[in-house]
Order: sequence, then structure tokens, then C-alpha cells
Amino acid sequence: MFDIEHGIHGTVICRGRLDAAQCEKAEGFLAGLEGANTLDFAGLEYISSAGLGILLKTQKRLVADGGGLKIINVNNHIHDVFRYSGFHTIFDIRAK
Amino acid sequence: MQRSFPRHLDALTPLYEFAEEMMEAHDIAEGIRFPVHLAMEELFVNMVKYNPDISTDIEVDVSLQVNQEVRVSLVDDGGVEFDVTAARPIDIDAPLEDRIPGGLGIHLIQSLVDTLEYEYQDGRGEVIFTKGSGNEDV
Repeated sequence: MFDIEHGIHGTVICRGRLDAAQCEKAEGFLAGLEGANTLDFAGLEYISSAGLGILLKTQKRLVADGGGLKIINVNNHIHDVFRYSGFHTIFDIRAK
Repeated sequence: MQRSFPRHLDALTPLYEFAEEMMEAHDIAEGIRFPVHLAMEELFVNMVKYNPDISTDIEVDVSLQVNQEVRVSLVDDGGVEFDVTAARPIDIDAPLEDRIPGGLGIHLIQSLVDTLEYEYQDGRGEVIFTKGSGNEDV
């Protein structure tokens, strides 16, 4: 199960498991974002390379237009996946 | 425990539940379970992508070795040869403008598991990986 929705204060709330089967849902939502955005991963338990690809695609598009993604409340497992992928150098990432 | 899964992304949730049930029953630490699930998904998705014969299932076996080490085997009949143990260097320090989506899955598997083996013979590919309690990377 994976959910993504707008939260309060303009953040985007992600919950559940972002695996390859859920990427279409994530991509469809993130394609609608513009400018600077904060993704709240407090409820996100898991992400695989398919999810990383969607984040990267979104970040490239937003940064090109002067915006970008900040990702907050990242659990330590996902944080390590970001580190192994070198995402800590191209995203503003805050641990839980 | 062994089970066959249909060659489709919809099988990812049952695949997760299958492995999670086994690891939970044996009190496997979260630091082992997360990379096991990740490596299993990446390998399964590769097998879905690179075998056009959707009529064949993918056999998955998850077992517990000594010292709480988890061993996972995935068997794919009829797929193309794809050695997941081969080095596929990617530049994880590249700036954003030079990054392209894709290629991270194999890199993550190779980074997170303890051992990784691949065999391919007569159209049958098998990947075996292990992850042990002494190596909780994530």
C-alpha cells in the first residue's frame, strides 16, 4: 500500500511502501508539482530503485525551473538507501 | 519456504508478505529485513522486465541459515541471461544534471547483500543472495 497526498502547510505526505508497482501513482502526483516542495516521509517505510527514479526525474524537472524537493522525516533505512545512491548530494534530506 | 509468483508487478505485495511472514516468524532484525526485501524486489522486477513469457512463474525460496542469516533464491525459466553479479559502475557523485533514472537497482543489490551468485543454463537463470545478522547495513 502506498499513499501520496497534500498535507497541511504545503507539504506532500507519503506513506507506506513505494515499490515498482506503486510508481505510476507516485509519478502521476509528483508530475503536478511546481516550484519548491517538501516531501514528508514520516510514514514512508520503504523505497526501491523504481521510486528513486521517480524522485530523480521530479528533482531534475523542478530544479531546472528554479525549484526542487526537500525530503524530511526520512527513516534510517531509506536514508541509507539515499546514501548508497548518492542522493544525499542532490536532494536536501532530513532524517527522522 | 518456497512459492511461485506470477510474472507481474502486482505480485510484489504478495512477494513482500511471503518473505516478511517468514522473517517475522524468526525474529529477523529490521536491519536485515529491509535489504532482503529491497534486493528481492529489484531481482524480481528485473526478471519481469527481461522475460517476455508471462505464462511462466518466478520461483522464490526464502530460508534461514545458521546465525540468523537469510538466504533467498529466485529462479526464472526462459529469460535472457543477465548476470547481476557483473560490475556495472555508476557515478553516485555525479551532479544532478548528469544523473539519469535507472541503473541503481543492481548497484543497491550489490551494495546491500553479503553474498550474490548467478547461474544461467539452458534458459534457466537463478540468483541466490544472503544477508546475515552481522551485516545490518540499513
